[in-house]
Amino acid sequence: MTDTTLDNTIPAPRTSSFPLKKAAALGALLLALLAAPIAIGDQFVAHIFITIFIFAGLSTAWNIVGGYAGQLSLGHAIFYGIGAYAGVMLMNIGISPWLGMFAGAAVSVVVAVAISYPCFRLRGPFFSLATIAFLEVFRVLALHFRELTGGATGLMIPLKFGWEWMVFRDRTPALLIAFGMLVLALAVAWWIRSHRLGFYLVATRERQSAAQAAGVNTVKVRLIAVSASAALTAFIGTFHAMYLTFIEPAAMFSLTMSIQIAMFALIGGLGTVVGPLVGALFLVPLSELARGWLGAQALGLHGFVYGVVLVLVVLFMPNGVIGILGRYFGSAVPERGTQSASVTAAPRAAERPPIGNDILVAEHLDKHFAGLHVTNDVSFSLKEGEVLGLIGPNGAGKTTVFNMLSGFLKPDSGSVRVRAEDGSWRAPLTPGDFAAIGVGRTFQVVQPFAAMTVEENIMVGAFHRHSDVNDAREAARETAFRMGLAPWLHAEAKGLTIGGLKRLEVARVMAMKPRILLLDEVMAGINQTDVRRAIDLMLFIRDSGVSIIAIEHVMQAVMSLSDRVVVLNSGQIIAEGKPQNVVRDPQVIEAYLGKEFTHAQA
Amino acid sequence: MDTFLQVLASGLMLGALFAIVSIGLTLIFGIVKVVNFAHGEFLMIGMYLVYLITAKLGLHPLVTVVAVAPLLFLVGVATQRLIIQPLMSARDDHIQIFATVGLSTALINLALLIFGADIANTPPGGLRMPIQIGPARVLLGQVIILLASAALVIGLQLFLQRTQTGRAIRAVAQNRAAAQLMGINVNRIYMLAFGIGAACVGFAAAMVAPLYPTSPTIGTYFVLTAFVVVVLGGLGSIGGAFAGAMIIGLIDSFAGFYIGSDLREVAVFGVFLLILILKPSGLFSERLNLSHVSP
Repeated sequence: MTDTTLDNTIPAPRTSSFPLKKAAALGALLLALLAAPIAIGDQFVAHIFITIFIFAGLSTAWNIVGGYAGQLSLGHAIFYGIGAYAGVMLMNIGISPWLGMFAGAAVSVVVAVAISYPCFRLRGPFFSLATIAFLEVFRVLALHFRELTGGATGLMIPLKFGWEWMVFRDRTPALLIAFGMLVLALAVAWWIRSHRLGFYLVATRERQSAAQAAGVNTVKVRLIAVSASAALTAFIGTFHAMYLTFIEPAAMFSLTMSIQIAMFALIGGLGTVVGPLVGALFLVPLSELARGWLGAQALGLHGFVYGVVLVLVVLFMPNGVIGILGRYFGSAVPERGTQSASVTAAPRAAERPPIGNDILVAEHLDKHFAGLHVTNDVSFSLKEGEVLGLIGPNGAGKTTVFNMLSGFLKPDSGSVRVRAEDGSWRAPLTPGDFAAIGVGRTFQVVQPFAAMTVEENIMVGAFHRHSDVNDAREAARETAFRMGLAPWLHAEAKGLTIGGLKRLEVARVMAMKPRILLLDEVMAGINQTDVRRAIDLMLFIRDSGVSIIAIEHVMQAVMSLSDRVVVLNSGQIIAEGKPQNVVRDPQVIEAYLGKEFTHAQA
Repeated sequence: MDTFLQVLASGLMLGALFAIVSIGLTLIFGIVKVVNFAHGEFLMIGMYLVYLITAKLGLHPLVTVVAVAPLLFLVGVATQRLIIQPLMSARDDHIQIFATVGLSTALINLALLIFGADIANTPPGGLRMPIQIGPARVLLGQVIILLASAALVIGLQLFLQRTQTGRAIRAVAQNRAAAQLMGINVNRIYMLAFGIGAACVGFAAAMVAPLYPTSPTIGTYFVLTAFVVVVLGGLGSIGGAFAGAMIIGLIDSFAGFYIGSDLREVAVFGVFLLILILKPSGLFSERLNLSHVSP
């Protein structure tokens, strides 16, 4: 905290001491898991622990894509299989699996990017279906190219023992390697979750368009996540092949296994760092023991138990074991203050900077939705430091104009140009371009990242300027304080009232420190007190030198804030000028109230 | 030329098989908006029921439909009521995917526990008799599947278009909240739709079981193709599923003959992936997006 005067109003950072405690607990758990099998010294016990480490590692790697990024892959065995085949095939020509695993990982990353890039626009079940289809294709191809993969008969590894070949007569070295793989996977998962990338992934998962508006390159962050996940999975695949000493397509590219990997993460806690480990810890011993004790007489029993457990977990504890633990230890649910509590008024800057030259120019924007001409030759400009009101009756095309001004829609013809900080004019195209050049926007239908706290929501915006988590957190706190959101920093965004959500929407975009702000009905549906507060807020933003275009229906706000008003009706600009003049314009009155009213008045 | 006609005929027969298995899946998806990963296992249950009834009671397999379809209807209703309905308001659809995947895993392994891994052959009852149509030779059972799937498509369309219940189902499919406001009991409609979808699989099972050996994993064999068909036809479109099934049947048949039987699946899934990526709404449906407010 740089500003000591803020310390009274902003709650103490919850996170400063917590991760240390968590990390210590996790470290202790891991050491215990490693020490237990070594102390017991039994071969079967060692085997169970190796299996736990392998599946926990696989599941942790999966969780980076399936949990953080919310892309529910049911084809992760592709990368596992590639790792396994690369390791064994290279070992057969005399190359150590320690090198082979990097070859496998490299191939996996290429495959992962090639598969995922076109599939990212598929949501939910369709992404899962596509990954299953790819998995089937890989399995069939592995069966088909016999010379390379041995086909259905599979491949044996040559019996060469020792550390350089990753193959051992004794279980202990394998135990150590499996443990090392798990720690690596956990470290990568933890790193991602606690850095900007993790926030971006969760934001993209929750609301893709809001994340784009906050300047997140949603495709890039997910490709990074997929690559990391695929590489880790391939590493473990190589090692597991050495441990099993035999591989075949049905076992390596297996849908059942892909489902299991995902299942451990869900049961432990989707999207949490340790969830997959916890899930594997619960379920692997269960299934291995069932297999060991009941064996052939109860074929299918462990699978049946898996399936039933999965359904029950989904029904009764969708947040997994971690969710339950969190509830009992009371760390997950911070208390909520009443949201009508007094809010510190935003301090006013001393003086308003003068209105300058054009900073954003829209020229001849045309857009059709099927037969509907939504905007027809719309041209206007925004000057630096100005507040431009964009008004018009419902269906006039205001939000469509906004979508074109922020890159969410491409105009059929016409262009949007923005003056960059260095004074040059640019024509940004994508939401990312617009964010990069300093255009921020809010959404008419609020788009909070529901699974994040208020602070984390604002941090997603703050990351646009700060790559470091602590800097972003600080910037987010300052913004929250200015926006009167400080009391709810640690509340979940989904718990806010509509007024709170609208303010959060503004706070998130303000944390990006935009030069141009597009506000889409931030005052609709909020009460009078909140409207007055919002007007103060906008004045404050204006005085800090930000140029604003605001779509607004609340006339009180339009009249008192706008320097200039543009009136849109049926996709065309029908009037433009000072607010007090525009409201007297007969054409505007007609657009809002109909012909009869103008006649009656005349 | 004769070979070509034979491959064509086989492709159409295969297409009819895929169609009859897929119709229930697309119905459930179109209305309840849930991708039922346990759909193949419903078929497996149906086929085991057909096997048990024919083997124990000596009935003709086609007759079993009067028992199997209603039983599967109940299975569907129970699935919707006990598993899907509590999850309808879930934050994201991952939860529903996991639920049906879990159900599928549990059912496969339950069948393994009860019947073992061996295959069960339903008495064919004359349905495996080959018949000659021009230069092509097909099985009687396959022709019956073709006719039955066409009848099923027409019957369901009539039901959805002409009856009050059908209209209610379509209303719920198009806008759940608005339908609820019009006084439709949405949860009941969902149960009904899921039940009908499952009953369609029961109907299919009576015709598929005499031709294909039943095993605990038979569902996985069919369900992946069924997904392909349903996506190809446009999710929720019954006629589309029928057309999609014919296309996939032909691709499968021709790829199997001209490329190699072990690469058939690559061709089928290749088409599937192309469709998913290039036109995810399917070949025969228009994307409905009425909202310009939230991009």
